[in-house]
Amino acid sequence: MFARAPARFVLQSVCACLRTQSFSHTACRNTVIVERWWQVPLSKEGSAPRLHPRRHRVYRLVEDTKHHMKDKMELLLTQTVPKLGGRGDTVFVKKSLGRNKLLAEGLAVYPSPENKELFAEERRLLREGKREDRIQTRTGQLTVEFLKKSALEVGIQPAAQQQFHLTKEIVCRHFLRKLGVVVPPHALTLPDEPITQFGDFWCEVTVNGLDTVRVQLSVGPYVDPRKKKLMKLEAAAAATENKPETDPE
Amino acid sequence: MHCDIHLCLLFLSKMPLHKYPPRLWEALKLKKGIYARLPQHYLKSLQDTSPPTPVHWKSLGVKYRANPKTGHRERVQDVPVPIYYPPESRDGLWGGEGWIRGYRYANNDKLSARVKKTWKPQLFKRELYSEILDQKFNITVTARTLDLIDAAYGFDFYILKTPKQDLNSKFGMDLKRAMLLQLARKDTELYPDDPAQREKIYNKYKQFEIPAEEAEWVGLSIEEAVEKQRLLEHKDPEPLYKSCVENLVKELAMQKLTEPQLMEKKD
Repeated sequence: MFARAPARFVLQSVCACLRTQSFSHTACRNTVIVERWWQVPLSKEGSAPRLHPRRHRVYRLVEDTKHHMKDKMELLLTQTVPKLGGRGDTVFVKKSLGRNKLLAEGLAVYPSPENKELFAEERRLLREGKREDRIQTRTGQLTVEFLKKSALEVGIQPAAQQQFHLTKEIVCRHFLRKLGVVVPPHALTLPDEPITQFGDFWCEVTVNGLDTVRVQLSVGPYVDPRKKKLMKLEAAAAATENKPETDPE
Repeated sequence: MHCDIHLCLLFLSKMPLHKYPPRLWEALKLKKGIYARLPQHYLKSLQDTSPPTPVHWKSLGVKYRANPKTGHRERVQDVPVPIYYPPESRDGLWGGEGWIRGYRYANNDKLSARVKKTWKPQLFKRELYSEILDQKFNITVTARTLDLIDAAYGFDFYILKTPKQDLNSKFGMDLKRAMLLQLARKDTELYPDDPAQREKIYNKYKQFEIPAEEAEWVGLSIEEAVEKQRLLEHKDPEPLYKSCVENLVKELAMQKLTEPQLMEKKD
C-alpha cells in the first residue's frame, strides 16, 4: 500500500495509512535482505524484465536483521508485576520476556486498540467511580509505604525565626525538596492551631484521595547542610572515641 | 539435402497446430470437467495472483525517481529475487521467508570468483496457542513470524488476517480453514461448555466470519478440492432391478385402477 503510492501522496495518506497499514509491511528482524550485483535492464511496462542467467543470480548481502539492535515490545499489564508496574500500565519490555513470560502466563496482553480502550475505561472508573469501588494503584501503595517510614524536617531561616507562620505551601515545598514527594496543598492537612514555634508536630498526607498517612513534622532552625555534615562526622568521631573508654569499664 | 528441407517445410506447413497454445492448457483445464463444477468462490481464490510482500529484497516503492547521478527523472521497476520454498516450509509458519539460492562474489569484489551461496532462515520451534481452536501447536517459526504475530496482536489474528500468498504455508491455510469453520459453527463447536468465553471469543473475531460452506473450501489445494467435489457428487450405482420393479408396480397399479371400472360396468 505504502510501497506502491507515489512519493507526493505518501504524506497525505500517512494518517490513513497508520490505521490501515498492513502489518506485513512493518519492519521485521532476523531476515536476510539481498540485492543484485548487476543492474537489471528496464523492461517495457507490463512485461517481465529479462534476467541474465548467470549475472542476475549473483546477490550481495545488504543486511541480516538478526544482527541489529534488538528493540523492545509494548505490552499492557493485566496484573501487578514486580519491578514493572501495575494493572493497566503500558510497559516496554524485551521481546523474550514479553513472549515467554508475560504473554505466556497471562500477565500482559497486546496493546490492541480494543484492549487499550478497555483499560482506559477501567482507569477512568477508578478515578471517577464511587469511593468504595476505588482501589489504590501500585505506585500509590509504594508512596504510602515510603511516607510511613519517613519524617520531615523543616528548617526556618534565622531572619524569620522571631516570627514565622508555617503554611501548607512551605510544607509542600519541603516535602518536594527533602523527600522528593510532590504533595499538592489539597492533599495535605496541618494541625488546627497554626505552627509558629519550633517543635515536633504531625501532618497528614492523603494519597490519591484514598489512604491517609501521618508524617512527623519537626520544625527547627535552619542549619547549613555542610555544617550539619561536619557535626554528624564529629558526633561519629566522638562516639568512636568514647567507645574504647567505655568498653573496658 | 535440399529436397529434405523442402519436404520438412511442406510437412510443417501441413502439420496441424494445437487448437490452444500449450501455455493456456493449465488455465483451460479449469474450464471443463469436474474443475468447472467446483464452487465459484474457490475458483476465484485460485485466480488471485497478487505478489507476496517483499521479504528478502527491498522494494523501491516508487515508479519514477530522480537518477542519483544525473538528477533526471527516470522510470524504475522492482525485480523480485526468486525465493525457493522448501517442502518443510509448508508444514511450518516461516512468515514468507525461504531459501535464497544464488551466488555471491568472493571478498565482496565484483572481479573475484563467483561463489555459490544459499541463504537460509533461522528456524525455531515454538508452542503457539490458538484461542479459537483452544489448542496449542508446536510450530516451526522464524523470528519474522513472531514479530508479525506481535504486530497482528495475536496468533489467531495473524492467521486470519494474512492473505494466502504471505502466509505461504499449507499448515497455515489448514489452520485458517479450521478457525473459520469454528467461527461459522460457533453454536456447536466454539467452547461448547463455556458460553461466556464463547461469546467473548466470537465478538473478538466476528469480523472474519464467513459462511460454513465457503469456509470448508478455504486453503484447499486443487487436488484436495477435486477430491472433495468428487465425494460430494458421488452416488452409489443403483441396481437396475430396482427401477424395473418400480416400473412393474406402476403398471400393475394402472391395471388395477382401470379394471374395477370395467367390472362395475359389467355388474
